Amino acid sequence: MESGPMSVDSAALDPPPVPDNGPDEPKHGGHSRFELELEFVQALANPQYLNYLASRKFLVNPSFVAYLNYLQYWTRPPYLKYLTFPTATLKMLELLQQEKFRHDIISPDLAHALIMEGMKTAVEWHREG
Amino acid sequence: METNLDGCFERVEKTLGSMIDSLAKNNPSQKLAEELLAAEAELSKSLKLLETHQNNNARLQQLRQETSLHDTQLKDIMSSLWNMRRELKAVPTTSNPPAGPKHQFTTSELLAYARRISRNTLPLPGVTNGVDMTPSQSSAPPTEPEDSFRLQSQPTQTQTPTTSFNLSFNGTVTTPIGLSAPTPTTTTNDTQPSTQLPPSQQPPPKTAPADDKLPAHLKPAVNPLHDAAFHPWPTEGQIRSGALAALQRLVDAGIEPRGYDPAEQERRRAAEEKARREAEKRARVEREEAERKGREERERMAREREAARLRNGGGPDGDGERRESVAVARPKPKQFTFLGADDDDDDEDEDD
Repeated sequence: MESGPMSVDSAALDPPPVPDNGPDEPKHGGHSRFELELEFVQALANPQYLNYLASRKFLVNPSFVAYLNYLQYWTRPPYLKYLTFPTATLKMLELLQQEKFRHDIISPDLAHALIMEGMKTAVEWHREG
Repeated sequence: METNLDGCFERVEKTLGSMIDSLAKNNPSQKLAEELLAAEAELSKSLKLLETHQNNNARLQQLRQETSLHDTQLKDIMSSLWNMRRELKAVPTTSNPPAGPKHQFTTSELLAYARRISRNTLPLPGVTNGVDMTPSQSSAPPTEPEDSFRLQSQPTQTQTPTTSFNLSFNGTVTTPIGLSAPTPTTTTNDTQPSTQLPPSQQPPPKTAPADDKLPAHLKPAVNPLHDAAFHPWPTEGQIRSGALAALQRLVDAGIEPRGYDPAEQERRRAAEEKARREAEKRARVEREEAERKGREERERMAREREAARLRNGGGPDGDGERRESVAVARPKPKQFTFLGADDDDDDEDEDD
């Protein structure tokens, strides 16, 4: 089954450098930065969570917007392969770069529509025909 | 060419002059006339030749012009080529390939990733999130309330594994419990001829067509996928039980999460607890040891006092030189100490 190595091109934006202090990397509550950011970037896939963040005025904070931009390194190797909810995570990360979406997601109607659409798509995308 | 032509002209002139002379003398000669003809023919021939010559010459001139024109063009092309080459060589080349670094992966890694994400990207068979998987048919009864996460039946004859799975759970899952009686489903009755008895006069359920089925209100109870929903993103519960929520709890508790490791703290606490317990155990052992020694000492002294009293028959009273330390080391009541003051001296004497 093992075939020759394949490869995928990486985009222009480079991921952050790997912490060079290895096991001495500072932990946050027992978790590494990798674990926390992986969890967070996937939590962003949940429209309800985004609605919550918007209601707490996070999405209009310039620092937070810059952080969202920084989180885009998850869309590229070598970090891409750690996403376990790739579809919604990548789409939401892309949408979150748009100011209009960050502004509109505060509406519960939009969050609800995203939930409905996402769950509908999740069962429909693999249907034949 | 010119001499030839000149010769021809001279000959024509000479013959013409001879002809004119002969005509002037009124003595035309046929021979002269023939010569004139021949000379004229030769002149014409020479003139033709001259014409060809001139044409050739013109053609040569034209060709030369073309050659020089082409030479110029060639030179231009060569020079532009040289310029191009110089410009090409002057373009600075980048050492980094523009495609960027390639990330290698193998088939097994790809398959492992597919397996890892499959439970989050593909719903279980039967979980439809309330989406009607057979859009061409109106399978949902209109009386059912809206429930986006409800499973829907699929009364279709093309049985895929998914649809057959759903068929086994076919039924109105939201029938209120209070209204349900162990009677056959009304949908079955609606299709029967009108001679059928009303449901209240039906025979016992065991003769009904659907008697081997569970009552409708019980079907959700045996359907493990009832109200099951597939979420293509982390659910709120997962987020709330995640590491970020744990950090928030730490912050709420006033603990700086950076550098704080609950596992490490737990280990440290366990180690401290263990050390404390060991210290307590050690202290207890030491205390017991000390008590045991003290008890033995008291017993020994009691025995010696007894022996001394027996020996002395009451004995003299103490001389007042009893040392305080001895009294302190002796945890006896004071009256005994006082009564046995003389014994102490005896003891010390013996000890010495």
